[in-house]
Amino acid sequence: MAVPAIGGISGAGGLSHLAELYRQQITGSAAAARPASTAAAATAGTGAVQATGTPGVGGVSGVSGVSGGGSFTSALGDGLRAVESLDRTASAKAVAAATGDLTDVHDYVIAATQAQVATELTTTVRNKALDAFNEIMRMPL
Amino acid sequence: MFAALGISGSGMLVHRTWMDAISDNIANVNTVRATDEEAFRARYVIAQALENGSTGAGVAVGGIELSDAQGRLVFDPTHPLADANGLVRLPEVDLGEQLTTMIMAQRGYQANIAQVDRVKAAYQSALQMGRS
Repeated sequence: MAVPAIGGISGAGGLSHLAELYRQQITGSAAAARPASTAAAATAGTGAVQATGTPGVGGVSGVSGVSGGGSFTSALGDGLRAVESLDRTASAKAVAAATGDLTDVHDYVIAATQAQVATELTTTVRNKALDAFNEIMRMPL
Repeated sequence: MFAALGISGSGMLVHRTWMDAISDNIANVNTVRATDEEAFRARYVIAQALENGSTGAGVAVGGIELSDAQGRLVFDPTHPLADANGLVRLPEVDLGEQLTTMIMAQRGYQANIAQVDRVKAAYQSALQMGRS
């Protein structure tokens, strides 16, 4: 369980890093587009471009601020730690069952069910995050 | 996380303890004692609900109560433990009552298992949400 945990956290860190790079690219292209539109269009048109451009860039930096703050990373890390502890409990009960120390049959099955559902939940969250990242990467610049 | 699974597990623990107690009662249904001794005392499991201020935290074994030590006196002069009047002391355990109680304990245990299955299915279908 330890290796996927580390991979998951660093993967989330990579996601926020790439989002930051992406934000810089968008900011750069918006800044590059602004003088051209200023030169080409009338004063009213320039105002419209700047008005639409600025909130868009601000929205992107808001997104990277959320992942840069580590809320998703820490949430995923907490989830993985919970999964690891549940998995360890289930493994201890499996050993107890094999050595004859298990007093309750249902104890092991419930621990195994908890570990299974928690693992499925974590992989689902990780897959969703990866899907979102891939969707961003497919966006034409 | 997954409180329902733990709650059902506590219910299974109590019903398993109940089945253990009933098994012991049935195993000792013919335990003969001398008249100057206590009869075998049947065990009764006391269930206790666990409160946590919201949905509850399941159930626990509050204690094991014992039936009376009087038992019943049976005339069996050939028994080695029989007294001068030919009497021995048998436990006050009704086999029919114990067997019907065993059915209740077994059904309770099975109901908790079914609950675990349903909760697991619910969690898993929640994880399937939005998956094409």
